[in-house]
Amino acid sequence: MNNKNLNEILKQREALEQKAKAEQNNSQNKPLALDDTQRVKVLSPGRLVAKRFFKNKLAIFGLAILILMFIFSFIGPLFYPYSQTDIFYKYDYLTIDYANAAERTDAVAYALSDSAQISSKVKNSLNSYIKSMEKDGKTEAVITDDDGTQYSIQKLGEKIYSLSADQLTETAKISQNTSIAKYNRFSKKISWNSGITADDGLQKAIENAVSSKSSDFEYNGISYSIKSESKNMYNIIRNTPEIKWSGENLGDDFIALAMKHSDGTKFTFNGADYRAKANDDSSVSVSAIGGKTMVSVLSSFVFNVYDKAENFSDQVKAGILLSIYDSGKFSYNGKTYSVTKKDGRYEIYDEANNEIASLGNFVIKRYSGQDTLSFDFKEKAQQTIYDMLQNNQTSSKFIYSLPQMDLQGNYVLDEKGNTTYADAEITVTKKNNQYVLTCEQVTYLIDIFGRPSSKHIFGTDGDGMDILARMMYGGRISLIVGFIVVFLEVLIGVILGGIAGYFSGWVDTVIMRLVDIFYCIPSLPILIIMGAFFDAIKMNPYERLAWLMVILGILGWAGVARLVRGQILSLREQEFMIAQEATGIKASRRIFRHLVPNIMPQLIVNATMGLGSVIILESTLSFLGLGVKHPLATWGTMINSVASSSENMIKYAYIWIPVGLLICLTVIAFNFVGDGLRDAFDPKMKQ
Amino acid sequence: MFIVYALMYSLPTSYVESMARELATKPGSTKSAAQWLAELNAQYGFDRGIIGGYLQWIKTALAGDFGDSWNWSVPVVEEFNKTIWYSFILSFIAFILEMAIAIPAGIIAARKQYSLTDYTITVVSLIGISLPTFFTATLLKLIFSVKLGWFDIGGMQSRNYITLSDWGKFWDLASHYVLPALTLTLVSIGSLMRFTRTNMLEVLNSDYIRTARAKGLSENRVINHHAFRNTLIPLITILGGSLPGLFSGSLITETLFSFRGIGYASYYSMITGDIPFTMFYLMFVSILTLLGNLISDILYAVVDPRVRVH
Repeated sequence: MNNKNLNEILKQREALEQKAKAEQNNSQNKPLALDDTQRVKVLSPGRLVAKRFFKNKLAIFGLAILILMFIFSFIGPLFYPYSQTDIFYKYDYLTIDYANAAERTDAVAYALSDSAQISSKVKNSLNSYIKSMEKDGKTEAVITDDDGTQYSIQKLGEKIYSLSADQLTETAKISQNTSIAKYNRFSKKISWNSGITADDGLQKAIENAVSSKSSDFEYNGISYSIKSESKNMYNIIRNTPEIKWSGENLGDDFIALAMKHSDGTKFTFNGADYRAKANDDSSVSVSAIGGKTMVSVLSSFVFNVYDKAENFSDQVKAGILLSIYDSGKFSYNGKTYSVTKKDGRYEIYDEANNEIASLGNFVIKRYSGQDTLSFDFKEKAQQTIYDMLQNNQTSSKFIYSLPQMDLQGNYVLDEKGNTTYADAEITVTKKNNQYVLTCEQVTYLIDIFGRPSSKHIFGTDGDGMDILARMMYGGRISLIVGFIVVFLEVLIGVILGGIAGYFSGWVDTVIMRLVDIFYCIPSLPILIIMGAFFDAIKMNPYERLAWLMVILGILGWAGVARLVRGQILSLREQEFMIAQEATGIKASRRIFRHLVPNIMPQLIVNATMGLGSVIILESTLSFLGLGVKHPLATWGTMINSVASSSENMIKYAYIWIPVGLLICLTVIAFNFVGDGLRDAFDPKMKQ
Repeated sequence: MFIVYALMYSLPTSYVESMARELATKPGSTKSAAQWLAELNAQYGFDRGIIGGYLQWIKTALAGDFGDSWNWSVPVVEEFNKTIWYSFILSFIAFILEMAIAIPAGIIAARKQYSLTDYTITVVSLIGISLPTFFTATLLKLIFSVKLGWFDIGGMQSRNYITLSDWGKFWDLASHYVLPALTLTLVSIGSLMRFTRTNMLEVLNSDYIRTARAKGLSENRVINHHAFRNTLIPLITILGGSLPGLFSGSLITETLFSFRGIGYASYYSMITGDIPFTMFYLMFVSILTLLGNLISDILYAVVDPRVRVH
């Protein structure tokens, strides 16, 4: 009690009395008098404005939309799992080119023995000979090689040909200028070359010739020459040709004829054909041309081998082909193969009577070129193609079980870890001379224009990005651009307009002429040119966004400046300004602390309405592709990306109409709020 | 203007270079591409840098020579003459429609303030202000071209234009005006409606209307005679001021509908870096803006005798 002074006690008592009085009034429901202080509720100007604002239904509606829009675009992304640049993929059934089949028209040569050698020229021309044989209906053709060797192709049966070559038997070998021995003068030792029999008489003759330093000598009617190789070492060379006969001696005339034809051409002696051929060691072999022997088998059949690990050698393949028109059986390396014709195709069995291979006309490979397809697949595909050919179809289908994939793109395994197989429909289509085998397979794709689903409520766009996420981020960009641009406009406008209005005189004139100039600048053309310019220099989208905001701000301040100046001109004449002058406050403080707050209502209304138009401008520019760029999401680009053609316009109406409505709603909301604020600040108009 | 010139000058899509190459490869050309380039640069004043080039442009423009459009490969003035009337007719139709709808609607809204009609008109006008042109245009295209198939989605002529009779040609052309005009009207109607309503309210709240009512005049006479005339003062000022703007074309709408007006022509000139045409268009638009201000000032004085007294 001691602490309280009299005043406080009095105040408390008064308050109590008043409270009691008020209670009394309420309980009695006594109508209030006109001058009753209770009746005239004095609200602060701010609360007055707020009260008037909240009475306006449209303004409340706009405010609610704005709040929702802010939550949607600023808080929404925090809880939404996807970002604006996430690209989504999906596994989907996609028709892929699985394999292709091409008829093999060229025959392949399978050599009967490894040693058989055919010149490449003949090898390359084989197929053209076979083709002309087929054309003319001949069963035999003769190929002559450059060296005169004759080959003959004989048709054994359908698609199987044999290639035979001249059989040569050596009759003589002529050796010329062969070194026979090396003689060392110092040690008097002679070393005979291999194949030369030691001859004492010859050795003597060599010794004599070397000691007499003569360069050539004769012995037994054969002439030799001596060549000094190094000091005391001599090479003895036989000059007279040495002839080794394989059979009977045909005489010197034959040798002379053979030497004349040592270039390889054929010559005839005593009615028989011979050919001389120069060997590598400067000797010449002369052979008699006898009958022909088969060197390889040619066929355009394709071996379809059951077990890929088993690699058939050329000899086996040749043997199999030959046996078709023979006994039907063939042995090689202790294995027996048998060929049987079944339903017009050849099947090859081993001893245990298991089918190990078949002959077909088509080369069937995976589309990538790998030969990894199974025997059964090839057989089935081949059969389908035969049927197609028979029925003159250009496309057909068959079912084959392929490894199963689930929609996540993984192979489906059973409990033992083996891949499971599922029947897949394989479509065979004729394309020119090829057959393309297509089937549906699960493929990993970018989820382009995905329909709305539980995962993506509005689906995905043309880049596989989630539309709802991009709507949120687009809203964020639109709102941020709107606020920053309006902030810049107001900042520049208030500073310049305030200065112009307060100082008047030449400052006013200069600033107002600047305002006039900016009023005259056609802003849309400038923005379009700017957009084209940014496009041309390929500016980074974030930098570009910043520039866009700056440019929009600079182009838009003139209106604010004019408004501020007009208001300040009228406020300047009021009494409170005179009072300020009397107190001697700084000019800047007078403008920005005392004048500007007085024009706040008009500024706020102006800025709110301006936000809407900035958002429209930004989305229009983005729609034209000259504003904010990919990967940044904006509402304008989202509409542009799907509404450019009439076809897409209908197809993706579920994308662009909601986005367009978002723009409209945001702008309408800003306009409603601005309108409501104007009415609230300036109730005169409402009466 | 200078800023625009500098920007366009810096665009790397150099038309001059490609033209020099083209001229050099023409049969009978005795100069190399480099020589042509130098000559063309001198012709367009590009060899004097940005400022020099700009001064050169002003010099030739003042002499009435605007050069050849690069994008449209005809003289600028010819392209202008070709497109301007399409644009004017389009804007004029939209202007008439706008006035015919917005002014009566605004007056009705003001007369029945706080009624359902007023709210509807206010909301519709606010929506009109808020509609982005491109969204409106796309929606109209979807409804009238794609779904209903009444009009072409864009362009100026149907495919069978040549085979049509004179009347058919006229109707065909007219049908291509419908959607652009509708778009223009829809996006601009809101502000005029609001403007009319606000002004009418102001007039209706003024003392002379109260006096007129007090005199016992009929409500129709009060509205049509006393109030409407006074509402016209700001309206005529605003509308008169926007008359020159009818010639400036509408960049976005014309582009969206491929409507071969001046807006379309200048849009493509701008994005392709066609300096002569863009500079001409910007100059033209600036003159129109100034002219609009002048007209609205004069009209203000003509319509409102109080201004003349001052």
